[in-house]
Amino acid sequence: MRIGSKESLATAILLAAVGVIAAAVWWTNVEVEDARRQRREASELARAQTDLRLVTFEYVLNNHERARAQWYQVSRRLDELIAASRFSRVAEEEILVGVRDRRTQGRQIFDELVSVSADDRTVAPRAELNRRFEAQLLSRLFILQQDNLAATFRLSDLATERSTAAQRRLLVVSLLGLALIAMIAVAMSWLIRRDVLAPIARLQHAAQQVATGNWSYEFGKGGTDEIGQLTRDLGSMTQSLRDSLGQVERSNRELAALNTELKAFSYSVSHDLRAPLRSMDGFSLALLEDYGDKLGEEGKDFLRRIRAASQRMGRLIDDLLGLSRVTRAELRLQAVDLSALAREIAASFRSDPPGRSVRWEFEDKLSMRADRELMRIAMQNLLDNAWKFTGKTRDAVVRVGARMRDGRQVFFVADNGVGFDMAYTDRLFGAFQRLHHAEDFPGTGIGLAIVQRAIHRQGGKIWAEARPGEGATFFFTLGESEDEPRGQDNPAG
Amino acid sequence: MSLEGKTILLVEDNPDDVKLTLRAFKKANIANTIDVVHDGIEALDYLFARGAYSARAATPLPTLIILDLKLPKLDGLGVLKAIRADPRTRLVSVVILTSSKEDQDVVSGYALGANSYVRKPVDFAEFMEAARVLGIYWLMMNQALPEHAAK
Repeated sequence: MRIGSKESLATAILLAAVGVIAAAVWWTNVEVEDARRQRREASELARAQTDLRLVTFEYVLNNHERARAQWYQVSRRLDELIAASRFSRVAEEEILVGVRDRRTQGRQIFDELVSVSADDRTVAPRAELNRRFEAQLLSRLFILQQDNLAATFRLSDLATERSTAAQRRLLVVSLLGLALIAMIAVAMSWLIRRDVLAPIARLQHAAQQVATGNWSYEFGKGGTDEIGQLTRDLGSMTQSLRDSLGQVERSNRELAALNTELKAFSYSVSHDLRAPLRSMDGFSLALLEDYGDKLGEEGKDFLRRIRAASQRMGRLIDDLLGLSRVTRAELRLQAVDLSALAREIAASFRSDPPGRSVRWEFEDKLSMRADRELMRIAMQNLLDNAWKFTGKTRDAVVRVGARMRDGRQVFFVADNGVGFDMAYTDRLFGAFQRLHHAEDFPGTGIGLAIVQRAIHRQGGKIWAEARPGEGATFFFTLGESEDEPRGQDNPAG
Repeated sequence: MSLEGKTILLVEDNPDDVKLTLRAFKKANIANTIDVVHDGIEALDYLFARGAYSARAATPLPTLIILDLKLPKLDGLGVLKAIRADPRTRLVSVVILTSSKEDQDVVSGYALGANSYVRKPVDFAEFMEAARVLGIYWLMMNQALPEHAAK
């Protein structure tokens, strides 16, 4: 049975018990009121009968006409009282019938008495006879009156008994009702303990177990009531959490395995892929140096091409390793002085080709919270780019600074180099994407992919604005995690 | 630029790299004796005069060991560990000359007591420059320990 049903049932029983007690109180009240009325009526009857007796005595003593009239008056009042009295029970009704009978007899006797008294008393023997008859009648009348008085007292007693009995019944009903209420209270308390508190304590224990990491804790089947349902729901919730946790763990293991594999791959690339390139370059140079005179110009050109290709391949491998390193690097956020970092990097640019000069304009006190190593890699590539693409610009200027845009600090690296067509901006940050011919501006096409990944790793965004022939500006922000890296940054892509 | 009696031990398994390294040293006018071994075990045999190298017992240790990391049988870091663990070879200068500049290699190399870490560039001209600087520094500039201190 559900807890709600049990609660409803207990409430219904409680209400019923209270109702029974209330009904008993009301009924007892009615009974007592009725009994009180009967007693009042009985005592009025008794008073009227006493009055009747008094006027009877008065009549006997004085034999006045006035007393006789009074007697009939009192007698009539008594009859009216008897007729008006309401006694519903059989025993009382029987008593009342007796009272009425005796009243009828009494009236007849009194009538006879009156007629006897009216007789002439002058005749001695008749007077004597009358006197004796009168005495006899009086005696009968008094006996009848006495009986009626006794019967009236009996009625009063019966009323008192009824009232007492009603009160006793009320006591019993009240006690039984209270006992029932007490029993229900005890039963409810026991049920609450058994069906609510104990299961809740078990649930609490289970929740604690799960909270402390015991994911395999069994919640059990639970009963048919609401808490049983809750137990099952929590159990299945924990089960699905356990499942997804398992999935996450599996994915994590797979990712860790992939990462290890990637590391091993990078390691192997780093060691093994460069060795053959060294041989190609080294022996080509050896050929040029030792046998150059036998090769002729075309032969030397071929060898130089082999060397150039080997070196390009070497740079490509290095850049790819750099990209993978940026992805794998552990983040260490700290205060970074971008101005100082930019100056440091700019100082490393040699005049290559000789005579190249760039005006560096760095704003002071550009501070940010970032990973110093990733920022160094990003700025190195951005300034490399700026240096490279201003190679054919007179009065080359490269600026580094920051502006507030939408309440956020946006850093920029701007140059007045060749720029690019904004139509290609989507491809700008993809690995191996180049917007210029290699003969004009050499490069592997990985630099900006590395920059983007370094910025994304730090929760930032990067974008560019440019016009062909007028230069390019790269903007970036840091620490906005709400913007997920886009497809181009996908390691699998 | 040769200095008498100062031997270099080159530990390198790739014959192309051996050839190129020797050429680079020659081009840099380093005329010291360069002994070449081709794996980690052979390197330790050479240093501790064991097996095929037992005849070396009386020969002084090399002044400089140029060590590749990816080696058959026992890799460069294992060789370095063994060199630093033995009191006889503990103080010999070891320069790691290898392809990789992976952090794990550089950090472990220095942690195990390498004196220097040089990456082989693809560009042979750069390689020759590296070999030249290496030779100048470790064979001429660097004040080696007195013989008896190494014992």
